[in-house]
Amino acid sequence: MATDTLAHSQDATQDEWMGGQSPFNISYGKLMMWYFLVSDAFTFSALLISYGTLRFSTPTWPDPNVVFSAMPFLPHDMHVPLGFVSIMTFILILSSVFVVRAVQEGHMMNKKGVLYWMFLGILGGVAFLSCQAWEWMHLIVDNGMTLYENPFGTKHFGQLFFLITGFHGFHVFSGVVFNCIVWYQTLTGVYERRGHYEMVEKIGLYWHFVDLVWVFVFLAFYLL
Amino acid sequence: MAHDLTKEEYSAQVAGVWRATVWLSVITIAEVVAALMWPEEWNRYTLNFGFIALSLLKAYFIVGEFMHVKYEKRALALTILVPTVFLVWFIIAFLWEGAMWLDNREIWEVILEQVPSGGGHGGGHH
Repeated sequence: MATDTLAHSQDATQDEWMGGQSPFNISYGKLMMWYFLVSDAFTFSALLISYGTLRFSTPTWPDPNVVFSAMPFLPHDMHVPLGFVSIMTFILILSSVFVVRAVQEGHMMNKKGVLYWMFLGILGGVAFLSCQAWEWMHLIVDNGMTLYENPFGTKHFGQLFFLITGFHGFHVFSGVVFNCIVWYQTLTGVYERRGHYEMVEKIGLYWHFVDLVWVFVFLAFYLL
Repeated sequence: MAHDLTKEEYSAQVAGVWRATVWLSVITIAEVVAALMWPEEWNRYTLNFGFIALSLLKAYFIVGEFMHVKYEKRALALTILVPTVFLVWFIIAFLWEGAMWLDNREIWEVILEQVPSGGGHGGGHH
């Protein structure tokens, strides 16, 4: 009996790979989005690892609790260490959640639900970008942290900060643009006519990846 | 035009997403509180190790629940996750390299101080 089940399960796995169907049970487009994200993950890893290399090669490093302690709408001498970046993190997590909800409503062919949740997701993305713009402006204009000098310590810190959060911010920006296109196409009924909302899923994957990268940017710059 | 999820699957996945959201929020709050409250005299490496572990846990929730990998075929999950094994050596090798640069720089500073100063760089301490 045991050999029978073994032979049977081998047949089953081989059949999956014999053509005529997707062995991964997903579409070509989604699989390619995944492979793009794997390659993008390596790009971000390279950036964050170069951050680690330079940090290990520098005798002193600025304290994030000191660098990131400003909040908008508060007096300049009031310090809230990591307060503003925590808010930014929550905004990005929530925006990611809203987009998952849009994907799920897409599975149920609920056009109104997709529009509602995707709209909230776009708002979250715009809010995150606005926060980042404020943070950059504060660091550059008020503190004088630029690519060439850094009042908090080694200038590597500022260079890596602007390079990596800038690259991440550009991903957020392009994600917002893609989300807007998806929202518009949902509104005009493109996906309804197509019979499925897979495009919401594919763009959703990209959007969650941006959130995933933020976890590690947050770890490297703000926590460690 | 059929729904590709049953009502039960849909409810289960929606609940899963909200559960993951709560986890992500709680972990982030815990991280920020730890970063602010950790006493100076306690071991900093313990804290950093905790941060890295918690970040990996957050990554698990995002990739597993939001990006849906938990519900995909095993072969697909492997084809995405296995390449990241390369990162292990990538990280070790380059942090090692960075520490070595620092070492070299410190060693050369000591050596240069002992060279009888012929003017130019390095001298002028006394």
